[in-house]
Amino acid sequence: MPSSHRWRKLLARSLRDRAVLAGLIIVAALVLIAALAPWISPNDPQEQDLLATLLPPRWMAGGDVRYPLGTDTLGRCTASRLIYGARIALYVATIAASGAMLLGTLLALLAGYFGGWVDWVISRAVDIWMSFPPVVLAMILLVGLGTGVNKVILAIVLIDWTRFCRVVRSEVLLVRTRDYVAAARLAGLSHLRIMVGEITPAIIPLVITLMSIEMGIAVIVEAIMSFVGLSVEPDVAAWGVLIADARQTMHQAPWGALLPVLAIFITVLGFNLLGSGLRRTLDARLDVARAEAAR
Amino acid sequence: MTLAATGLTVSATIGGRRVDVLRDIDFAVGAGKVLGLVGESGAGKSMIGRILSQTLPEGFTVSAGALSFGGVDLVQQSPAQLRSLLGDRITFIPQEPLSALNPLQTIAAQFGEHLGRLGIAARDRRGKMLTALVEVRLEAPERLLERYPFQLSGGMCQRVLIAMAFAGNPTLVIADEPTTALDVSTQATIAGIIRRMQYEHGTSLLFITHDLRLAARVADEILVLYAGEVVERGPARRILEAPRHPYARALKAANPPLKGPLVRLATLPDQMPSVATLPDLKGCRFAPRCPSRNAACETSQPKLREFEVGHVVRCAPACEADVQAAPAVARTPSPTPAGAPILDLQAVAKHYAGPRNWLGKRAAATVAVARVDLSVRAGEFVGVVGESGSGKSTVARLIMGLERPTSGRITLDGRDVTAADTSARLIRLDALQMVFQDPQSALNPRRRIERIVTQALEAKRNTGGGNAERHQRARTLLAETGLPPDLLDRYPAQLSGGQKQRVNIARALCVTPRLLVADEIVSGLDVSVQAQILNLLLDLRQARGIGMVFISHDLTVVRYLCSRVIVMHRGEVVESGETEAVFAAPQHAYTQKLLAAVPPDDLDTPWPPENL
Repeated sequence: MPSSHRWRKLLARSLRDRAVLAGLIIVAALVLIAALAPWISPNDPQEQDLLATLLPPRWMAGGDVRYPLGTDTLGRCTASRLIYGARIALYVATIAASGAMLLGTLLALLAGYFGGWVDWVISRAVDIWMSFPPVVLAMILLVGLGTGVNKVILAIVLIDWTRFCRVVRSEVLLVRTRDYVAAARLAGLSHLRIMVGEITPAIIPLVITLMSIEMGIAVIVEAIMSFVGLSVEPDVAAWGVLIADARQTMHQAPWGALLPVLAIFITVLGFNLLGSGLRRTLDARLDVARAEAAR
Repeated sequence: MTLAATGLTVSATIGGRRVDVLRDIDFAVGAGKVLGLVGESGAGKSMIGRILSQTLPEGFTVSAGALSFGGVDLVQQSPAQLRSLLGDRITFIPQEPLSALNPLQTIAAQFGEHLGRLGIAARDRRGKMLTALVEVRLEAPERLLERYPFQLSGGMCQRVLIAMAFAGNPTLVIADEPTTALDVSTQATIAGIIRRMQYEHGTSLLFITHDLRLAARVADEILVLYAGEVVERGPARRILEAPRHPYARALKAANPPLKGPLVRLATLPDQMPSVATLPDLKGCRFAPRCPSRNAACETSQPKLREFEVGHVVRCAPACEADVQAAPAVARTPSPTPAGAPILDLQAVAKHYAGPRNWLGKRAAATVAVARVDLSVRAGEFVGVVGESGSGKSTVARLIMGLERPTSGRITLDGRDVTAADTSARLIRLDALQMVFQDPQSALNPRRRIERIVTQALEAKRNTGGGNAERHQRARTLLAETGLPPDLLDRYPAQLSGGQKQRVNIARALCVTPRLLVADEIVSGLDVSVQAQILNLLLDLRQARGIGMVFISHDLTVVRYLCSRVIVMHRGEVVESGETEAVFAAPQHAYTQKLLAAVPPDDLDTPWPPENL
């Protein structure tokens, strides 16, 4: 098992990578905003002020000090709704990506380690699954499962486990050929112990990377689903709902749609920067190459 | 002088300190002469080729000295000027022939492109190519030109590259380990061809190798490098027959002989210092490993001294006193022990079924092992000799139960383990362990050494395995394999190649097996480290009475360790018997060929033989 010392070294190296640092700052800021939403949002996100609808951000002509980023058609505070929207986005990102990761990685381990018919069945399932357009598949699933944010999470897990499964499986296949796996078998260790103790640690860096990218994807999928009204209740402040609400008044008040789009953009960028940076810093092959270069 | 280095020094900044990776190198290659550059990995021998091609690793620079080629200092040349020399006046023969050729182009296309660069008109190229290929003794050159590199063997690719290197009558050819990646029998042929081509073309040759014996066969003059310094330079015959520097002597002694009495190999402790630690060595860079060092060696840097005409040595004591050979400890080949065999293979074969086509019909099976009979008694070392593709690694996997034989019978202590199922696995666990070939792949990079060597204790069947017990066991195993206890907390990446291979052996010993299966476990190691591991294996036999199936392509090593041997060729055992008897009077043509491929110590015996 990797020791804390090793992890600390990896962490230190990761933080030196600019992409990881930038991604981490964005994600950490989002987590803080989401956690502190009740304290930092200027207004109740649901409270309507029908005397102040479609206000622009306060620094623009006609802006109001009480509404830093303006209001929507019902006079609700856009800033507060964006802040509360971060909660939904991160909730979905975390749970859905973890679920997809667990399901995909588990199946990938089984397929890659045992090979043979197990691999055949799992790989064909992935092939068939991946040949459906994901958004259409999500909508079909949501029609079957019913709507709601937890259903969206379930749909993302059921669709995106294949991303993990396919990539992780090929990594397992590679690790499987290492002599140390054969050596563990010859030392009398069970298949389960080998999968947990020898193979899993080797694929963790890859899984972390994929997980980070998947969180960005989950944010987008959730936004699309709330946009079409298959996710949260229409009055809940989710970024997709904000965009949907602002659609009618796009020409009079473009910021109403632009601001949630920007929020999604920054969030996904944060996760992607983190993911691609981690791929560089956590890759064990680079690790070995570095150790050899240092000798 | 075709190529001359004067005071050549390459420096880099590593860990904040300036390191002279190559220090004050002097040599000269005369017109039509061959200089052999000999050294183990890390000696800096490939650095010289890299200076020539201006491909030094990042951060490495030539900080002093000159490398002049026909009066032009190559170090000072612009890349464009250098490019006009390389490939034309100076050519290279690479280490990996297969990766040096483009797999997507035919030989004709690549060779023709090279000739075009040399300014040969398109209509003359084909004839020129055919002549060149005939010169390196390639048969049916017409057909060969239309083939792709992957359709040729490694030896054939190397011949093509040799033909290309000499095609433009260059002034200088640089061959960096040109035979290392090839099979034993091919190595001799290739070395012979390079030497003959050099002679016939009157070309100067820089022959870089780790093999002192081979260098002595190919080169007129030899230069021995250690940790970036020239430790000895002189006529090839003198260096092989009477090396003066303690390192050159150790290098010669580290290779077991193929003929004559066996003595225990005299080994050097440790291994070559890594580049990063070079600034810590204030005195002679070899001093920490030197058997005859004195106080002065640790503090002052020795100068190269002319010991006899044309023979210089960087060691004051060795130049003054007469060299005392270390007293040889005779190693009588141990007789085959009596008793029933532990392991017995009877007519074992392994076929791999071909892939199914879309109708479900199988292609013809590949025969990895056609038939092997092999038995090993307690405390007996049996050698399995063969080249790549001979099926010897498959034999190891069959013995270990990693593969199931197609036919035949394997018994362990009289119990049938052919099936390779759970019960067979339990029988094997008590008696049999494997040492893997490549420690890089065999040691989990994420485990500490302590957790690697005691991994077997994690298995459910081994009661106990608490942390204290594991720690104790790991200490014992490390001590037994000659490793310091402070390695317990390290990771494999922090160990040297030799140390990794010892850990690899220590792990196999954890469950106290009676028989080890070792697949090419010393082939990736430097000769001085290889000698240490060979002696370790002999000591383990002494201490534990352990038996071994030792798989190797290196006949000298097999002779040193094994009392019996089987020779494999294309999946079949072509010869077997007592090692001494087989090597003294080989019956099968293939065994004779393998033996003839090893350069004999006696330089008056012509080598490589003509008919190889």
